[in-house]
Amino acid sequence: MSGASKAKSPRDVVIVEGFRTPFVKSGDKFSAVHPADLGKVALKAVLAKTNLNTNEVDEVIIGNTGNPPDAVNISRVVALGAGIPQKTSAYTVHRNCASALESISNGFEKIRSGTMDVVVTGGTENMSQMPILMPQKFQKIFMDLPRAKGPSQALPLLWKLFKTDLKQIKAMLSGDMRNELMPSAAVMQGLTDPFVGINMGQTAEILAKEWGLSRQTQDEFALRSHKLASAAKEKLREEIAPVSLAPEYKETIIDDIGPRETQTIEALNKLKPFFDKETGTITAGNSCPITDGAAMLLLMSREKAEALGYKPMARILSYGFAGLEPERMGLGPVYSTPVALKRAGLQLKDMGLVELNEAFAAQVLSCQKAFDSDEFAKNKLGLSQKVGELRSEILNVNGGAIALGHPVGTTGTRITLTLMREMKRRSVQFGLATLCIGGGQGGSIIIENEN
Amino acid sequence: MSMQDSFKVKYNGDIATLEMDLQGEKVNKLSTVVMNRFKDVIDEVSKSKAKVFIIKSLKPKIFVAGADIEEIKNLKTKEAVETAVKGGQDIFNLLEDMPQVTIASVNGACAGGGCELILACDYRIASEDPSTRIGLPETQLGIIPGFGGCVRLPRTIGIQAALDIILAGKLLNGKKAKKAGLVDKLVHQSILEEETLKWANQIIKEGSGKRRKTFQPQGLVAKILEGGLGRGVVFSKAKAATLKATKGHYPAPITALQVIKETYGMSDRQKALDIERKYFGEMALTDVSKNLIHVFYLTEMVKKQTGLPAGSSAKAKDVKAVGVLGAGTMGGGIAYIGADKGIHMRVKDINHDALNKAYKHASDIWAKLVKKRVIDKFQAKQKMDLVSGGLGYEGFKTLDVVVEAIVEDMNIKRKVIAETAGQMRSDAIIVTNTSSLSVTEMGQAHPKPENFAGMHFFNPVDKMPLVEVIRGPQSSDETIATIFELSKKMGKMPVVVKDGPGFLVNRLLIPYLNEATFMFQEGMDIKTMDDWYVKNFGMPMGPLALMDEVGLDVGIKVVKIFNKAFGARVQVPDVMEKISKSGRLGKKNGKGFYKYSAEGKRLEPDETMYTDMGLSAPTNPLSEKECIERGIFSMINECASALYEDRIVDTPDEVDLAMIMGTGFPPFRGGLCRYADSVGSQNIANALEQYSMQRNAPRLKPMGALNAMAKDNKTFYNK
Repeated sequence: MSGASKAKSPRDVVIVEGFRTPFVKSGDKFSAVHPADLGKVALKAVLAKTNLNTNEVDEVIIGNTGNPPDAVNISRVVALGAGIPQKTSAYTVHRNCASALESISNGFEKIRSGTMDVVVTGGTENMSQMPILMPQKFQKIFMDLPRAKGPSQALPLLWKLFKTDLKQIKAMLSGDMRNELMPSAAVMQGLTDPFVGINMGQTAEILAKEWGLSRQTQDEFALRSHKLASAAKEKLREEIAPVSLAPEYKETIIDDIGPRETQTIEALNKLKPFFDKETGTITAGNSCPITDGAAMLLLMSREKAEALGYKPMARILSYGFAGLEPERMGLGPVYSTPVALKRAGLQLKDMGLVELNEAFAAQVLSCQKAFDSDEFAKNKLGLSQKVGELRSEILNVNGGAIALGHPVGTTGTRITLTLMREMKRRSVQFGLATLCIGGGQGGSIIIENEN
Repeated sequence: MSMQDSFKVKYNGDIATLEMDLQGEKVNKLSTVVMNRFKDVIDEVSKSKAKVFIIKSLKPKIFVAGADIEEIKNLKTKEAVETAVKGGQDIFNLLEDMPQVTIASVNGACAGGGCELILACDYRIASEDPSTRIGLPETQLGIIPGFGGCVRLPRTIGIQAALDIILAGKLLNGKKAKKAGLVDKLVHQSILEEETLKWANQIIKEGSGKRRKTFQPQGLVAKILEGGLGRGVVFSKAKAATLKATKGHYPAPITALQVIKETYGMSDRQKALDIERKYFGEMALTDVSKNLIHVFYLTEMVKKQTGLPAGSSAKAKDVKAVGVLGAGTMGGGIAYIGADKGIHMRVKDINHDALNKAYKHASDIWAKLVKKRVIDKFQAKQKMDLVSGGLGYEGFKTLDVVVEAIVEDMNIKRKVIAETAGQMRSDAIIVTNTSSLSVTEMGQAHPKPENFAGMHFFNPVDKMPLVEVIRGPQSSDETIATIFELSKKMGKMPVVVKDGPGFLVNRLLIPYLNEATFMFQEGMDIKTMDDWYVKNFGMPMGPLALMDEVGLDVGIKVVKIFNKAFGARVQVPDVMEKISKSGRLGKKNGKGFYKYSAEGKRLEPDETMYTDMGLSAPTNPLSEKECIERGIFSMINECASALYEDRIVDTPDEVDLAMIMGTGFPPFRGGLCRYADSVGSQNIANALEQYSMQRNAPRLKPMGALNAMAKDNKTFYNK
């Protein structure tokens, strides 16, 4: 029986509250804000809004991909800084773009199984602060230097360092990207598939070409994202916890810095393809920007929420992850969604709202086509018929990552949070949040509105 | 209770260990009986076969807290002082001369006499525990180290480091003590005993004997500064700095400097100690010392108090999270002191700019402490993490106490208090930080007025130690005990006061500031008057500078409130009306009695003040005596009335503590009441009577309470 809610159970996993920071394009206002501090802001907002006795929290699970060297288990840093007691355990999860969704699935399983009752899940990412990596040649010198005994050993090493430095400067001046001495940005390495060696933009190029998506359709989709996100500014503010910029504290960021109300199709059309200069269609304008931000959810068992006097916002019905060819990673949602739907006993047509992360316009549009294709379902998904039509009217109704941005480790929570709050506004019963995952996976979560 | 139990010696092979655990006392202190027992121990161990003598304490956070201050206080003649000191010096000489190698194993407070004890040992090992604090705080009490500290410390760690410790009277933690050379080894507290024994056994095994006791400077700069020529420079610099800091009101540091100068490098130990003893005798009998010891007792008194009347059994509630309404200067300061002591602080204001000011206020203070290496950046971060804020009441149900620090307007405050109470748990407490409004009237707005009181902080909150806990007629014992304890947890000195205009401190301060304004109006030069108060009387800041600090608009507002409450005894000077119309607000807009730099630093007096107020150039018609007496005696006049007529507080102790901690009233004078007692109530009343007639100023007339005292020349303390 499709579309009917299952009976409520004490072990249902419910979302009690959720907040996020504004999303800010990397290199902008959050450049100097540590990702742990972003996480703390979002978590403190959740704790304050719920007046939660923090002794009730069983675990904190936070997604993050940047893995800052000074906070390698960043979840613990966020938890302690936000006022979660020391006795409460915390760990960080990494499933690339779905890290924060992974945190929710972890919390979901622990609560559903009866292991825990209260779990904080979320994600935090500061892509501005991902390091620039020094080439191997330097590492060797840096490691040998402290071990050098006396000037007779140290001086030659310093001379070698100096010479290598000069060579590196030369390589940088000439812009020779293939030179082995070029420093590389961790963020760019992270956005390159380590298995097939192409970057995320190139995977989108493949989809655009295979699914016949014109530059114009893509640009129009990008424009839609900006228009919807701009129009939703007031609504989005309800899920945002303001961030004061330390140490000067002269400014508080209260809105996303990304959506452009004045964006025109002409301006988007003018941009040059970034990943395939000659025949490509993927531009900086129809892709999501590199972004900083954090988001947190408070999950509880229904019985605990009731005992503590909370009114849940949504119930988590199921989640699903699935893998596919790394070079077509953008189609991930089409693979993972049927898994989640099956577990929930629902169909795509039962969904009243869908958040499908906008890594690239081409990627969202090809997902839409693949969802609606019997042939794709048969050949790729092993299903007898298509997953279903994903209607544009219910898709990313408040804009998506092209406008808002995609802080990789955070997005899974952000789309769940935005979906949940919009479901309440529209009194929609079922909603789906899904995203594609670099490396060739998809992740989906299905939630039900609580009344 | 036997001294044998307090000071036990245990022998184990070649090692003798003294375990100090003064029975019936919380701390180990060196009273006469203790010192006598110590002498017996030294005699006994000296005659034993032990090769190493270890001295340790069994008290958890105390090694030796110092000499017995009560005994010092009771010494009345120079001879008595010198005899007492000689006894101590001789015993520490015996310790120093023991045939055994001596090791002090220090965990916990090791101050004054305790520090002098370990200086007489060959070696010192200390724990890293935060309770370990070593130093010579004697100058803080107006005396100097007298059991050889002035002589042995410079020989152990060099002149520069010794002057740092003795002149400022500061205590060093283990890490700093190790760096200064005051201890030889620093280990984790859990292995202190083990490491001490290991060291003792090593000394025994190697057969190494007693230690050479002179300090060896390391490095060229130190060698020059410690050498004959450099030493002179060091002394004169230290003297100049000390005089500047004490303005000549505190003779002890200068005297200690003199002792060190005369004795450093002296080969005859006894001669050096004789010099130390002679100067100690001079210092111990000064009024300054007696007054500073009085102040010390006042602060100790607060530590033991609960804020409740005798017989009340109410207990303070545990406070983990505190809210602050209003993120102004006070709100930011309160957020700082709370979070600094590990309390979750939640600030609420109506916009983000205001919240940011509070964050910045707190964050900047910690940043400064990081720069000075008082705390590290991780500690600063942890503290800042405890501060959060919002525009709404989010999180208020988790708060135990909320401090209201919004605009001084009764109607607004009442509205906000009622609203806030509705957002909190029913057992939570709201306090107001008002400085001038009625706590009683405000409390009526709270649905449960028993959960309401005043908690008046002083500006700047991070520096001023006083908190007035204002007990409204309906405040419950539990509320008062909780706020009293919270103040202490925040590192403040609480004094419980009754509700009434200005409570205690401002009630006394207003007549004083008002009188200064009158004297300005009469032709006193701004700088001359302020200088007299600062340099000669010892106030931290002159009255006119203080008015600028408080805000001239605020000052006028409060004087008018007082005029309403108290009538003629608080007149409003004509010039105040003019000031209020001139747009001069004081420091906050950079225009007041003084000029201010862009950063808000006070510069020279603003000469245009005279002409702007329609005054001719200042003629300074008043003598210094009159100028100071009219101000200070006005306070004393009001004090008698507050204490005996309105019973704002119960004792002169509380007045003295409050005035010192809340206004910086000179500690060397022991407080306002103690100062008044030194002048005599009759003299004060007569002087006020005379000024009142001479200057045609009825406000200066001695009031009933003071007159009643003057009749029999009674004092505040022995009334």
